[in-house]
Amino acid sequence: MAAFSQEVVYTKFSEFYKTSSEVLPLPTLAKQREFAFLLFKERVMIRHRNFPDLNRLKTFLNETVPSDIYHSCAYYENPEAEMDRKGWLGADLVFDIDADHIPTSCNKIHDEWTCGKCGFNGKGITPENCPICGSQKFDAKTWPCDQCLNSAKEETAKLIDMLEKDFGFSPKELHVFFSGHRGYHVHVENETVRTLDAIARKEIVDYVSGLGLTVLTEKTKAKTRKKGASNVFGLHDFGWNKRLKRGMQKFILNAAKEDLRHVGVRSYAAVLQNKEAILKRCLEENRWTSVKGVSIETWARIAEHVKNLESAKIDTVVTSDIHRLIRMAGTLHGKTGLKKIEFPAARLMEFDPFKEAVAFKDGTVKVFVSDVPEFRLGESMFGPYRRQAVELPTAAAVLLICKGRAEDVS
Amino acid sequence: MLGFTKNDLAKYPFLKQTAEHVKKLGLKIEELTNTEMAPILDRAEERVKNAILSVSVGTKRENDVELPSFPVAIMLAIATQNSFIKKRYALAEAKQAFSDMQFETREKLLAIAADFNWKIELNRSTAVPLEFALNFADYLRNTVHLRDSNWKLVNRILINGTVYLNKHDVARLLQEEVQRRIEKRLETKELPNFPEKITQIAQQLLALAKERLGIEEMEGFPKVVTQSAFPPCIAALYEAASKGRHLSHIGRFTLTSFLVNIGMTPEKVNELFKSFSDYNERLTRYQVEHIAGERGSRTRYTPPQCATLQTHGVCTNSDNLCRKIRHPLKYYKYKQRR
Repeated sequence: MAAFSQEVVYTKFSEFYKTSSEVLPLPTLAKQREFAFLLFKERVMIRHRNFPDLNRLKTFLNETVPSDIYHSCAYYENPEAEMDRKGWLGADLVFDIDADHIPTSCNKIHDEWTCGKCGFNGKGITPENCPICGSQKFDAKTWPCDQCLNSAKEETAKLIDMLEKDFGFSPKELHVFFSGHRGYHVHVENETVRTLDAIARKEIVDYVSGLGLTVLTEKTKAKTRKKGASNVFGLHDFGWNKRLKRGMQKFILNAAKEDLRHVGVRSYAAVLQNKEAILKRCLEENRWTSVKGVSIETWARIAEHVKNLESAKIDTVVTSDIHRLIRMAGTLHGKTGLKKIEFPAARLMEFDPFKEAVAFKDGTVKVFVSDVPEFRLGESMFGPYRRQAVELPTAAAVLLICKGRAEDVS
Repeated sequence: MLGFTKNDLAKYPFLKQTAEHVKKLGLKIEELTNTEMAPILDRAEERVKNAILSVSVGTKRENDVELPSFPVAIMLAIATQNSFIKKRYALAEAKQAFSDMQFETREKLLAIAADFNWKIELNRSTAVPLEFALNFADYLRNTVHLRDSNWKLVNRILINGTVYLNKHDVARLLQEEVQRRIEKRLETKELPNFPEKITQIAQQLLALAKERLGIEEMEGFPKVVTQSAFPPCIAALYEAASKGRHLSHIGRFTLTSFLVNIGMTPEKVNELFKSFSDYNERLTRYQVEHIAGERGSRTRYTPPQCATLQTHGVCTNSDNLCRKIRHPLKYYKYKQRR
């Protein structure tokens, strides 16, 4: 953003941290955590700080006005020391779900890319090669849309379901947040997981992503077994098996020819004709070889597809990093001016990020918008705007400036 | 909680209760060379010797020899000051414990697990046909080194924070725990003043290990970088980097740490990243040198192992050789030799 526009955002952020009557929620055991801040102008990260109480943090925020505020998921003996002298004591188990990683029905048509070499630009998913010069370097501008955030929400719902039912975390231990940009965060604060190392956390990631499920590869093993292929594909009623079973039931019940072909099932006719028999004999009685014309390979294929539907698409790196810095709840996101905000897991489906995370509720700002799709903030719809000056409510103007789609002209 | 008999303590000398028992005997290092202690020292030496030769600890003797021979064997292993012998000895003891534990009653297994503070109980639900219910965090802590896909959490019955297991599996996981506890005891950096005799035995054990197992310093990699020996994941990252295509953070880390470990200079690695659109010479140099161990903590980082690369989607086009190895550097080493 241009220096002049940055000034408005800086002022608004400054006012927010000065006047916000809402008390910033300090994380649990704040005195054992590292705090970090990204600065507006310099774009540098201030790290290895510690704020045992809210007043000192507020003073710091008023003086420096950072664009982004983070704290460590980890607990340290000396949070202000250098990394290898900090004395790691443990870390919350955190999950990050970001629309960037999820294919969505909007096809990211609101995202823009510009070739770094020839300057050619377009909309949607960034291509592998520039269609004009073939270069592979791009600058991308993203946009958080309702559909993107809804698909992130669905992934979050699947994650929470696993964390509650399979891992047995109580609603009290699960903290669910809107990230302030394109996704959701889930923090698990629980005594027994706190000291798990990166490799153990990686196993949790694999569980949530359904990576390494052997039921899906059983068919290759069958060939080496003398017994023959009978009953090599089987599902019991617990854990991931149950999820696969439930998912396959739903998929087969609703499957049309196209769905099956899309999954790579060549014997789709046999599946379509025998739906009832499949649901009863295979899924209820676990007799997977009992339907003529449908092979074990077919089940494995469908199961693989269902696994992709049932798994939660999380950012794998975040969860297995035991030193991760994560945005502090209640603070502003430098790319949107929206707040990272916590809400009860049970409210996930009804939670409205474009309403509940809005930080700036008063005033207007006049901006010149380069290009932006129609968008919603609070109860109002805005745009689409293209190369025009408009006077917008502060929250909308800050969002556009932060996203690099508008300049302040007031 | 169920108490342990003296037999149990001799069978499972790593238990806290055994340690307390031995403490009461008041053994002193200086007295170890006394003639009446000879059987104990002999048994201790046998423990380590068998570990070196066949990863076992030999046949049990009467409890009064067996019990104190364990801490003495630990001392001998420490006195060798050789990490390979220490590892091998811990493994041998753990394996012996495993084969004994398989034949114990459920209650005794629970008592041993309690010694390690596991959250474990007998399975009371009739729906799941397995005997034990273990907290998933304890399960994860002890499956870290188990390679078979059968041990992956995703292939286990996990309900409400509990993993359901049979007796064999519980005994196997306890083996891991035993090994860790013994390795920890062997870790000690401060060496006491050993009597002449002890040092002598340790030297003999060391000579035996060198003769039988040819333990040498790990061979380094030849200085020439052989691109054709790159594993598929690295080859893909390398190609992407040389074309300036975007690489994830973990992708960059994997590539950089791989290259510096096979002997590429930080300058050369820097060159490679120059075509990135977000290239920043100062920052890249700093990061590459950091990974190479020339800055900061001075540790040279190695690339993540295969399982980690799979988790983060860096593993790609895996081939037949990939199935035999667990680490990209192993792949390179293996292929380069052929």
